[in-house]
Amino acid sequence: MELLNNLALGLSVAVSFQNLLYALLGCMVGTLIGVLPGIGPVATIAMLLPITFHLPPTASLIMLAGIYYGAQYGGSTTSILVNLPGEASSVVTCLDGYQMARKGRAGAALSISAVGSFFAGTVGTIIIVIFAEPLTRMAQKFGPADYCALMALGLVAAVVLASGSVTKAIAMVFLGLLFGLIGTDVNTGAQRFTFDVPELSDGIDFAPIAMGLFGIAEIVVNLERHLERGGAIKVGSLWPTREEIRRSIPAVLRGTTLGALLGVLPGGGPTLGAFSAYTLEKKLSKHPEEFGKGAVEGVAAPEAANNAAAQTSFIPMLTLGIPSNAVMALMVGAMIIQGIQPGPEVMTKKPDLFWGMIVSMWIGNAMLVVINLPMIGMWVKLLTVPYRYLAPAILLFCCIGAYSLQNSTFHVLQVAAFGVLGYVFVKLGCEGAPFLLGLVLGPQMEEYFRRAMLLSRGNAMVFLERPISLGLLITTALLLVLMALPSIKKARKEAFQEEG
Amino acid sequence: MNRFLSKDFLSGLMFIGFGLIALYFGQKLALGTPVRMGPGWVPRMLSLILIGLGGLICVVALVTKGEPVERIKWKPLTLVTVGIICFALLFESAGLLPALIVLVFISSLAGEEFKLMEVIGNTIVLAILCTIVFKVGLGMNIYIVKMLGW
Repeated sequence: MELLNNLALGLSVAVSFQNLLYALLGCMVGTLIGVLPGIGPVATIAMLLPITFHLPPTASLIMLAGIYYGAQYGGSTTSILVNLPGEASSVVTCLDGYQMARKGRAGAALSISAVGSFFAGTVGTIIIVIFAEPLTRMAQKFGPADYCALMALGLVAAVVLASGSVTKAIAMVFLGLLFGLIGTDVNTGAQRFTFDVPELSDGIDFAPIAMGLFGIAEIVVNLERHLERGGAIKVGSLWPTREEIRRSIPAVLRGTTLGALLGVLPGGGPTLGAFSAYTLEKKLSKHPEEFGKGAVEGVAAPEAANNAAAQTSFIPMLTLGIPSNAVMALMVGAMIIQGIQPGPEVMTKKPDLFWGMIVSMWIGNAMLVVINLPMIGMWVKLLTVPYRYLAPAILLFCCIGAYSLQNSTFHVLQVAAFGVLGYVFVKLGCEGAPFLLGLVLGPQMEEYFRRAMLLSRGNAMVFLERPISLGLLITTALLLVLMALPSIKKARKEAFQEEG
Repeated sequence: MNRFLSKDFLSGLMFIGFGLIALYFGQKLALGTPVRMGPGWVPRMLSLILIGLGGLICVVALVTKGEPVERIKWKPLTLVTVGIICFALLFESAGLLPALIVLVFISSLAGEEFKLMEVIGNTIVLAILCTIVFKVGLGMNIYIVKMLGW
């Protein structure tokens, strides 16, 4: 049993003292930023990227992954207790979670969402284990043209599923690709768009860009809207009633399935999973009128879905090296910082890292149940910290983090510049995530494109002649055509309106 | 409402602008041939696509009349940006502590409420935390206060 051997290897890596410590650290930080509205996992991971220089590769990836799924757990606490989404993915949890809290069932809502999340996380991890090897083997057959087509599909799908205006999001991808070209051209050594700035000749660093776009711009927008907080509600007993358990089990199962499926898709991920799960429960329920008034299914299903999706969204990144959302783009960045080229080789060349990370995700999920339930009192206290304390602290950590990338203040100035650009993006309704995906994939995509054209002697038909590449491009085109259909356009618009 | 001030129209203009900038500064880069592409091939292709998309977005925006742009509040944006720039200028020349104090004060001014005692308290906590985490914990080679040689 090769799979069992792999898992045993992963377990041995994951339970080393150091890796357990970083998993715990990641989960704690993740819960913290999940609980606090106004800072999300993208900004946090960008902020901490420079610090991961000092850590071994496995430990740093374990920690960053912990932040991501920790935020899914923490986000629900805020939604349930103060009716404010701690994270985008727990927006729907507010609807019924807060109503349960008002009825004095806050404790039950919290424990159902934590246990449901744990179950979903476990299933998500198992799915990663099962699909990792076949997908990797498939990816190893890919040539440069196929890879190029795969990235195109990934980018387009990410845009189609995850954002408001498709045309604008595609333009953002191209803008990101263009920014990704800044630096020295790998093939010829020519300087591109470096404006004689020596710091730019190694290429533009995406950590300061992500901090600017997702951290600084968010702070500015929050300061404008003066984020307010209501008083926290008392938690009460954590034990759900028998009736609540009976109603939430099928909801958790459905939420997990839906979330796991949507998580694998490029552009899918926790937020999409949670929204779809809520809609599904409402449609299936015999008492749809209870939704929005404290229906326990309305908490159990989306919470399970967002965590399942958070887990399975690692699949394309780990096996193909293609990030499906902004957090995964940063994980790719973290691997590149450590000198690991993400892609199908990671599993064969670095099995300890690959399997260690997967096993640690499950351990992390178990830790999170403990962090979130018995220690709930601590997180509730944190909710009372006003935003005017947090904003300067986040800014400060961004600045120091950016400086420590290469010990240069140039990167700090870059954070400021991209903060302004990020603010402009927000005001114009352009999303940062497609930009970041383009930025991360840009250099690689150009490389594959040029190599494919070289191998085919300049014949662009190569992309249509290879069956894999052709299939991927047809899928991409189909997705784009589908989006232009009026009926789908309308349904999408409604779905995103509910979200906004 | 002025239809030229919609979110979509302005973002279209922004994409066209970025495309033109990239075309202008990329014009000296060799194009090469499709077989052996030079450094300029892909940038030119991307900028042309970007200009095309920007144009499309503009046209659609004029026809459909999109959402208007929200008013910009200059205070938070300016103060946060100025704070970061001050931090960058002070960090190497004066050390972490002066840079931190300036950043925390300027960015606290950006919010709605400014209570001096709170900001001072916040500064002290952050100064201690940063010294422990970055100087002691991660062993970064930085000065806390450069004049004193710390």
